[in-house]
Amino acid sequence: MEFPRRHFIPWGQPLLPQAVAWLARGWAGVGPLDLAALLVVVPTRQSGRRLRAALAAHAAARGQAVFPPHVLTPEALPAPDSAAGAASRLESLLAWNEVFREIEPGEFREVFPVDPPVRNFDWAARLAREFERLQNSLAEAGLRLGDVVARAGADFPEAERWRRIAGLERLHAEKLAAGGRRDAHEVAIDDTRAPAWPEGVTRVVVLATPDPRPLALRALATLKDTMPVDVVVFAPETEAAAFDAWGRPLTEAWTHRELALGEFEQRVHLCADPGAQAERVIAVVRAYGAADGALGVGVADPEVLPSLESGLRRAGLASFNPEGRSRRGDGLHQLLAALAALAREDSFATVAALARCPDFLEFVRARNAADFSAAGFLAGLDRLQAGRLPADLAEARRQAPDNAGLAAVAGLRATLTAGAFPANAAAALGAIFAARRFDLGRATEALEAAAIETWMEAVREVQAAARSFGGVTDAEWWDVALGVYGESTRTEEKAAGAVELPGWLELLWDDSPHLVIAGMNDGSVPEAIVGDPFLPEGLRERLGLKTNAARLARDAYLLQALAACRAEGGRLDLLLGKMSTAGDPLRPSRLLLGCADADLPRRIEFLFGTVAPERATPPWRRTWQLTPPRVAAPARVAVTALRAWLDCPFRFYLSRVLRMEAVDPAKTELDALDFGILCHAALEAMGKEMALRDCTDARQLREFLLGALEREAARRYGAEVPLPLLVQFESARQRLSRAADVQAQTRAEGWVIEGVERKFEIEIGGLVVSGKIDRIDRHERTGAIRVLDYKTSDQPVQPRDAHLRAARRGETAPDFARFAGGETERVWRDLQLPVYLRAFATEYPGERECSYFNLPKAATETGIARWDGYTRELADSAWRCAEGVAAAIRRGEFWPPNENVRPEQDDFAALFHHGAAESVAWKKEGAP
Amino acid sequence: MILASAGSGKTYALTNRFVRLLALGAKPERIVALTFTRKAAGEFFDEILNKLARAAREPAHAAQLARDVEMPALGPADFRKMLRVVADAMHRLRLGTLDGFFARIARNFPLELGLAGQFEILQEHAARMERGRVLRRIFERVGELGGAQREFIEAFKRATFGADEKRLGARLDRFIDEHQEIFLEAPGRDRWGNPARVWPEGSGWLEAAGRRESAAAELRAALASGELNEKQRARWDVFFAELAEWSPGAPMGGALDYLFKNALKAWPELTEIMVERKKHPLSPTAGGALRRLLQAIVGAEFARRLEITRGIYAVLAGYEAVYHDVVRRAGKLTFSDVQRLLMPGDGGAPALSQSAADETRLAIDYRLDAEIDHWLLDEFQDTSFGQWMVLRNLIDEAVQDPTGTRSFFYVGDVKQSVFAWRGGDPRLFREIFDHYNESRPGVIAEEHLVESWRSGPPVIAMVNAVFGAAPAIAELFPGEASAEWNREWRDHESAKPELGGQAALLHAEDEEARFALALRLLHEIEPLERGLTCALLVQKNDTAARLADYLRREGGVPAVAESDLHVCTDNPLGAALLALVKAAAHPGDTLAQEHLKMTPLGALLGAGSLAAPEALTRHVLGQIHADGFERTMDAWLRRLEPHLPKDDAFGRERARQFAAAAGLFDATGSRDVAEFIQFMERHTVREADAAAVVRVMTVHKAKGLGFDLVILPDLEGTKLDSRRDGLAVQRAADRSVEWVLDLPGRIFSGQDPVLAAHLRTVEAEACYENLSLLYVAMTRAKRAMYLIAGAPGKSTSRNFPKLLATTLGEESVTVRVGKLEMPGAFVAGDPDWHRSLPPPPPAVARPVELAPLDPAALRRSLRLPARRPSDEKAGVLEAAKLLALDGDRSAVEFGRMVHALFAEVEWAGRPDIARWEATWLARARDQPGLARAVEVALAGLRAPELAGVWTRPTGVPQAGVWRERTFEVVLEGAWVTGVLDRVVIERDAAGRAIRAAVFDFKTDRLENDAAVLARYAGQLEPYRQAVAKLAVLPVPAVTCELVLTHSRRRLFVPERGR
Ligand code: SF4
Repeated sequence: MEFPRRHFIPWGQPLLPQAVAWLARGWAGVGPLDLAALLVVVPTRQSGRRLRAALAAHAAARGQAVFPPHVLTPEALPAPDSAAGAASRLESLLAWNEVFREIEPGEFREVFPVDPPVRNFDWAARLAREFERLQNSLAEAGLRLGDVVARAGADFPEAERWRRIAGLERLHAEKLAAGGRRDAHEVAIDDTRAPAWPEGVTRVVVLATPDPRPLALRALATLKDTMPVDVVVFAPETEAAAFDAWGRPLTEAWTHRELALGEFEQRVHLCADPGAQAERVIAVVRAYGAADGALGVGVADPEVLPSLESGLRRAGLASFNPEGRSRRGDGLHQLLAALAALAREDSFATVAALARCPDFLEFVRARNAADFSAAGFLAGLDRLQAGRLPADLAEARRQAPDNAGLAAVAGLRATLTAGAFPANAAAALGAIFAARRFDLGRATEALEAAAIETWMEAVREVQAAARSFGGVTDAEWWDVALGVYGESTRTEEKAAGAVELPGWLELLWDDSPHLVIAGMNDGSVPEAIVGDPFLPEGLRERLGLKTNAARLARDAYLLQALAACRAEGGRLDLLLGKMSTAGDPLRPSRLLLGCADADLPRRIEFLFGTVAPERATPPWRRTWQLTPPRVAAPARVAVTALRAWLDCPFRFYLSRVLRMEAVDPAKTELDALDFGILCHAALEAMGKEMALRDCTDARQLREFLLGALEREAARRYGAEVPLPLLVQFESARQRLSRAADVQAQTRAEGWVIEGVERKFEIEIGGLVVSGKIDRIDRHERTGAIRVLDYKTSDQPVQPRDAHLRAARRGETAPDFARFAGGETERVWRDLQLPVYLRAFATEYPGERECSYFNLPKAATETGIARWDGYTRELADSAWRCAEGVAAAIRRGEFWPPNENVRPEQDDFAALFHHGAAESVAWKKEGAP
Repeated sequence: MILASAGSGKTYALTNRFVRLLALGAKPERIVALTFTRKAAGEFFDEILNKLARAAREPAHAAQLARDVEMPALGPADFRKMLRVVADAMHRLRLGTLDGFFARIARNFPLELGLAGQFEILQEHAARMERGRVLRRIFERVGELGGAQREFIEAFKRATFGADEKRLGARLDRFIDEHQEIFLEAPGRDRWGNPARVWPEGSGWLEAAGRRESAAAELRAALASGELNEKQRARWDVFFAELAEWSPGAPMGGALDYLFKNALKAWPELTEIMVERKKHPLSPTAGGALRRLLQAIVGAEFARRLEITRGIYAVLAGYEAVYHDVVRRAGKLTFSDVQRLLMPGDGGAPALSQSAADETRLAIDYRLDAEIDHWLLDEFQDTSFGQWMVLRNLIDEAVQDPTGTRSFFYVGDVKQSVFAWRGGDPRLFREIFDHYNESRPGVIAEEHLVESWRSGPPVIAMVNAVFGAAPAIAELFPGEASAEWNREWRDHESAKPELGGQAALLHAEDEEARFALALRLLHEIEPLERGLTCALLVQKNDTAARLADYLRREGGVPAVAESDLHVCTDNPLGAALLALVKAAAHPGDTLAQEHLKMTPLGALLGAGSLAAPEALTRHVLGQIHADGFERTMDAWLRRLEPHLPKDDAFGRERARQFAAAAGLFDATGSRDVAEFIQFMERHTVREADAAAVVRVMTVHKAKGLGFDLVILPDLEGTKLDSRRDGLAVQRAADRSVEWVLDLPGRIFSGQDPVLAAHLRTVEAEACYENLSLLYVAMTRAKRAMYLIAGAPGKSTSRNFPKLLATTLGEESVTVRVGKLEMPGAFVAGDPDWHRSLPPPPPAVARPVELAPLDPAALRRSLRLPARRPSDEKAGVLEAAKLLALDGDRSAVEFGRMVHALFAEVEWAGRPDIARWEATWLARARDQPGLARAVEVALAGLRAPELAGVWTRPTGVPQAGVWRERTFEVVLEGAWVTGVLDRVVIERDAAGRAIRAAVFDFKTDRLENDAAVLARYAGQLEPYRQAVAKLAVLPVPAVTCELVLTHSRRRLFVPERGR
């Protein structure tokens, strides 16, 4: 008898109904359709599903049901036999890992021509994946690494390299054997000699499977004398010569074949990029409305998939990816990664990341009953970071001892660092989810439960493997387990009416009359593997592995079949891109050039033409204006507010009235304000120290200042601060130590500190202005008073420049802010020192002056900068200006904004586009 | 070697070369053709195919191509054959970018290059994140400062010498941006700030550095006796006072600066010096003292710079060590890492080779499945020395191939060297030519292409007028730059004399006026209406964005800025969405909170009772956590949609782009909000290439393109020959780095012959690059070109306007374009050129729609929703149970074993049980894991309550049993799959079923009966229905029971609805 026996299903009609009819032939419709004695081999899991559904429908049409056949893919043949002690993929990887960490690369020079940069777990893990993949590729054809040299032939240039690789494989096998395991590939290859078949099977059908792996065929071949094997080819009998005995398209027959693709230029669509392809698909999905069963959408190039999915979603259409989504993107993965990080280190950044996992917040809430606020907790963390820059959890807790969230993190950290993985991981997760129950009737909770189940499977797998492999740290186990989890996928329920998005190899089994395939670009169809460091195409050929040529033949056949079965009553549209998402140029599938040579030039011009743009670029336009609320004008402000108002009344309103302030989560060091506060604190302490009042010894002053700085720094930032802070403290130290010189000198000149941090309040035009003067000095001989303000900016500042600026061309400042007394017109930008002087006018009626005490970065520029020429006239003008500003604030005048603020210096840059004033439309008075 | 001037058909020559090789029988996959951009590579390939296709189709084209490739005998049939050959080899062709080619090689030799398996190419965002990680690693501190950290701080202090720096992070970031590439190129400590390398002969300056004070004292003494007027003396006094305060790095005071400069003017004689507008003669003693003083000042500055350079080195070395550990070793490389990896030489990679013989080489032929015979390199002037080093050995092999069947072909234009700043090395062009020809004269032939196939006579006239003005250029830029330029220059000719057009230099003062003038020109010429392509070229990306926007807004011109737009932040919608995310993750961010309230999102939040921070945080973080950013943003965009103005196409486009960007971020796997915000803020989109638009782009981007009409409205700027900021890198002839130095200011460096020579070189390079830039800009036009610049007037800055004024004239003339009249300085061609154009060709046909099939004739396929009753989820799961390390899993495993045992049992009356007991117990002895399952199964068989499950029914003629049978059935329009544990069917004598009983085994501990029934009733209903169909029975004849193995009871499940 012919073995296997070939049958042909003509491709003039869709495959699926014909395949069903073929399997059910002879069934009269009485009693169940009983195919239980049949083993059907189909190309993919998804095609198996389709087949079984179609069988059910077929029986249902006769009011019946089915005992289905065993449906398997070639990858499941021969069935893995766990009893034979086959190692899991994880065990195999760990064994490889150990091999690589233990060998001396010098002894495997042909494999490692240079010493690897570093030989750690991570390095070994990456190599392990490579070798596992290599074993896999070879096993498809029933080969092991050790078989390569013998198979590759005499003139094989890398024979020595592969001999050494074979040596590595032996070490790998020994590792596995030590744990009572055998390499799974080896087991599978052995199994093909006498494979086990599902019980009760008496016949095998290889059904429209154009590309079974050779190993599966080897297993099937053993049935030659025991069981009939039918091979069903989806092609007309006239094509018999184009297929081999197992129904595989023959390379010779398909490589240069002219494919019959009717109405080519109407059915092939060149698009700019994945986005453009998605738009075409969406348009046609829309045209069909909800007509399920009419349209099929295939995705040949996975790169198009994200565009398609999001495009459909945005168009309000559901889609379904039968491949599922990687678990790497799901919520549990985020939580686990945060926990893994916390197990490794307790830096504040790790804490902050964990704190933003909802499950964690839920956990803290459950621990603390009702009074826990997630928002409050997170805002607290931000405040802590902004003000204290804690390096780690311990420091954060020292600063905020009562913080319930931090206590919870500390608890988790303790759990994670006690004991070994996976027990500690399970305990931590157990704690977080302790109070949780998942109602499986609710989709989201069922998904969460499924995620945890998957994680636990990964953990158990790791746990089992861990028994045989030592020398792996906890952190590495975490990575391993997270890797296993991340490699799994989750399939969501297919929503009713969702557009399914199967891949290229699934399409043969799709019987939609109208099929649209996106991503028909070379490299995807035909699929091509390029750049394999171990198995270049030349070696693949020698070894009889699947080659690019074989893939081309397969894909040519598939395309032909897909077109042929829709030639009547159906339609096949092919979309291809000119460019990838990342901007790489793409080429059309070579299959599309499968035409008569005479037609080739036209095809080429058609496929390599230019693409008309899909959409025009609309000009920038304002989608909306911001509508700030009107809030009552303040009755009191800090003295710095005057400057803010002068700088920009609107930004003043935002920052001082609405109190808008950003959080910088990336803050890792002191900002200018923090730095100033730190220096001020030391200087203030010096000023308050009576013993130093008359000190003219710079050394003594320096010692005091540095001591004060150190105490303040420790109080604010703790004992162990991160590196940038050390650098900044050093900078503060340098500045203060120079300030000591200046102080000694100024005291020698007769200036005595009269007071420091003097608070004041002064009413200006109905507005209470409050402030604090850094320091007031009195001259011991003249009795003159001087007001001092410490400045710690990098460049020294002159009081006059800081308070007045030149008027601009077309100046818009209000009249009261202008000072015309000098040579050129000037405009007030700050009123700080004039207000100070005014505030203490009654207390110190005599001669008064005002200065900055500069502590800039350049040593030579440290010193006291006096406002020379601070005249009566200036003082009056400043006061007029202060009154003007105060009145404006009282009246609620916060307009117009300053348009000259550079975006990089504008705290509010995010609010404004194309002009600050234009960006805002005040809410109408009285509107909500 | 081909030196191809702009528009002279470089691509044409290159594609011809490719075709010629094919015609000579070369296999296409054995030709490597490399360019710089992916786009160019794509276009190159398209062009080869289209060229062959045209020639294959039309004899006239065939004849032309045959001539071009110098094989006149070729006809359409030959080209068709070649076309097929290329088409078949498409996937094996090696046309691409240098970067891509290198990455491919590295992928094929990971272990040979010391990589662990495959690597990933870091894109910009990822690279930023990695840098952040590395810096955090450096900053973090556990306990005492580590030695490396202490060193790092020290280094940082030295690098910022004296000028102490408050912000470490920011400064470091800048450091790395500026210096990392240099460090990687010259990782040796001894090249950095090493005086022995900078001044191998020693430096007088440095030797004097320590003698400042003594020299000052001497000078003071010497001046005391000199003749000085009052003012002069006062000046000197201040000078000495300032000098005493001065230290290197500090700014010089007024008198110090003034006298220092004046002294340098009199250097080195120093017999007199200008002080207060009067000559002040210096005695030899005074002159000598002043000389020593100046030397000491300059020397101190040099010493400081050397120290800084060494500090920079140490900082970079510290950073690099960690970066290498954390990033590169983890297999994350940038393209330049890859290139360095392949760089042969000391300690570097083995050279690439095509001959396998030599073990010290990487034989690429076998690994790449490539046998390369021919090399074609495009835009060679942009090739960097490093890239050439990687390729060199391969090309050596080709050039020196004794059989003469291999070739090397390179083409480019040194006049278009606008990428020197990223490594382009135009000198290579000539060096390689000389190198090969030296060993075998004539082995490389040289060809110049000066005929422009792009530009018409007026444009060419203007180009020649500017760039052919050798004397003017030499005078403006004395030295090497102009010499080099003038040497390479050859007057251009237009190969298209029939192309009418106009070229003019127009005058407009400020940016606004220049933009406005450009707009007027566009309105007059109406390029799009006439079917002309049009571009406006500018110097910077943000100018491009501004100009395009101006044209769209003010003139309604469909202009597209081919610059990178920050689409996520340049509009209120994106800004509000980012505020939403910020506010959720950082509830203390009151800026974000208040910002939200000012937008329509505020109202939406209120309506969804999410206005309170607590609700917002929980909701949005939950969304992001569960669905990622793209879906979250999508959800909000959908809700915002009704709030967008109806006709706001722009807002909707931005919404789409925002969501797409979020999708890209999701693909990185991160859910970190701060990272997301950074990503979105940096994310840019290039507006799409489109046909019928006015394109606005930088000159750099326009390289390689041609347009009918070109306007250059952005030519202002500073000196053309100013050096780029940053470290000075002195290279030897072989491009190896000789020394690196933080170059002192010109006033200091100019005094030293070594540093001055360095300055001259780099300034000449900068000047040459800028000339190239203008050349590229001016050679983009086909028909018409308008330069808009300010008239330089008295200004002496040597910038573009000055160059144009010098070469094209300054005299004001009136330039007429159609009915426009404008002031300008140069005009050539026809003012009415645009009016006499032929009508434009008809617009491109719209793409074919994907029409749906006729619904009437539609033969739908059947799609049934799937149901799997056993999966049907119900009930509540305790997390604790899920999380038990050895819990749930074993329960499932146990259940499976018990089921398997029961499935073996056909009938088990009393007497049979002993038989099962024997078999199973024996099995359990071999597999201890089975023991408990066996125990439970046996108890189940023995239990009197369960006897009815196992015993054959009596009183009916026939009975059968199904065990563990899978079924498929369609119920209520759904496809249902399930496994029947055990079904007992009673049949009549004819074999027709009378009754059936479905038994479903439950092996876990279960709650009370009512709960169990509630939970499983739904699950069993489909079984009942399925069995009714399978056994051909009415539904009521099928009974269903749960068999609870734990409590050994049966629970009858009533039919639903009964
Ligand atoms: S649909 Fe989305 S946005 Fe709306 S309430 Fe639910 S989760 Fe929030």
